[in-house]
Amino acid sequence: MAVVYLPDPSPIETIASDLGANGLPYGLPIHPNLVHLTIGLFVIAIAFDGAGALYPVEKRLFRFLALPITRAGFHDVGWYNLLACAVISFLTVAAGFYEMLLAVPLPGVTSALGLDAIRTMLWHGVGGVLILMVIVAMTVWRGFQRFVWRRDYGRQVQWSYLLTGVVLFGVLGLHGTLGAELAAEFGVHITADQLLASGADLREALP
Amino acid sequence: MFELLPPLNDHNLPWMDTIHPIVVHFVIAMGLIAFLFDLIGVIGRRPALFEVSFWNLLVATLAIFVAIIFGQIEAGLANPYGAARDILSLHSTLGWSLAAVLSVLSGWRYVIRSRDPQQLPLAFLGAGGVLSLLIVVQVVLGNQLIWVYGLHTVNVVEATRQGLV
Repeated sequence: MAVVYLPDPSPIETIASDLGANGLPYGLPIHPNLVHLTIGLFVIAIAFDGAGALYPVEKRLFRFLALPITRAGFHDVGWYNLLACAVISFLTVAAGFYEMLLAVPLPGVTSALGLDAIRTMLWHGVGGVLILMVIVAMTVWRGFQRFVWRRDYGRQVQWSYLLTGVVLFGVLGLHGTLGAELAAEFGVHITADQLLASGADLREALP
Repeated sequence: MFELLPPLNDHNLPWMDTIHPIVVHFVIAMGLIAFLFDLIGVIGRRPALFEVSFWNLLVATLAIFVAIIFGQIEAGLANPYGAARDILSLHSTLGWSLAAVLSVLSGWRYVIRSRDPQQLPLAFLGAGGVLSLLIVVQVVLGNQLIWVYGLHTVNVVEATRQGLV
């Protein structure tokens, strides 16, 4: 059965007077900035654990560069960056949900991936929670490798761990594309796009 | 000669989406986390974190040059309007300056690490604080270009092509 009850006005309109032209009670969205930290920390964590795992291969290169390295140092980057990533990503998801609840996407737009606004937001919202769960699970996994299973090994990570990380790179790329589309195509929380949609003249509204 | 250039899409870009905001993940995250780990390393007496900071700083330094290359291309295609013109100029100037600051800090840090990887002089911690502050300012400027002025967003590109901004 199709939805038969849709409230009019929508709930967001009851607080519209408290929101700026970008649909937020503050000037710049927080979620996309925390995303820098989540993605940056995750990717570099996996990359350095990869460098630690491939240490026997690349150590000649670093010797050639006269850059002193230790295998444990690479794995320290892999561990601490992932730990920071897991902590910060809770805030990333929380800020994302707050700002998505306040999102007013431009009507009638279909993204480059062929999705409309609500489907893009649903995928991005659910995907965000799932990715957070994977990051936390990988942090626990990484902790067990570091402190229990592979404590006495030079290579601190399993190949399956690195493979999981690389797979998540792809998922993050797709997920990030959905997020980027919410901004650059659906105009969510972008002052200029929202002003244009309301019929304002940007030469006057954003001098 | 211009017909040799690739055609531009509805983001006014020769590629699908803006690339600069993706590359800057690695400057922002690595620059800020390097300072945080230095801080924890000094206050919490955990010298192992200094090595983690060193590598993060090195990644940030490599990444900023890639960020600048894509930033310059995408800035050139951005058609800034109103106050966004000044913001973009400031963002470009500070971006190049940050490349210099990061390079100097990486070099300095390499020397510190070569002499004694277990110690971090407070002067470097202060420099890291200044770096973090510059990164935050730079992020705010970049945020304004996207989230206020909507540069490279479909709606603004369309309005610009119609001569409305």
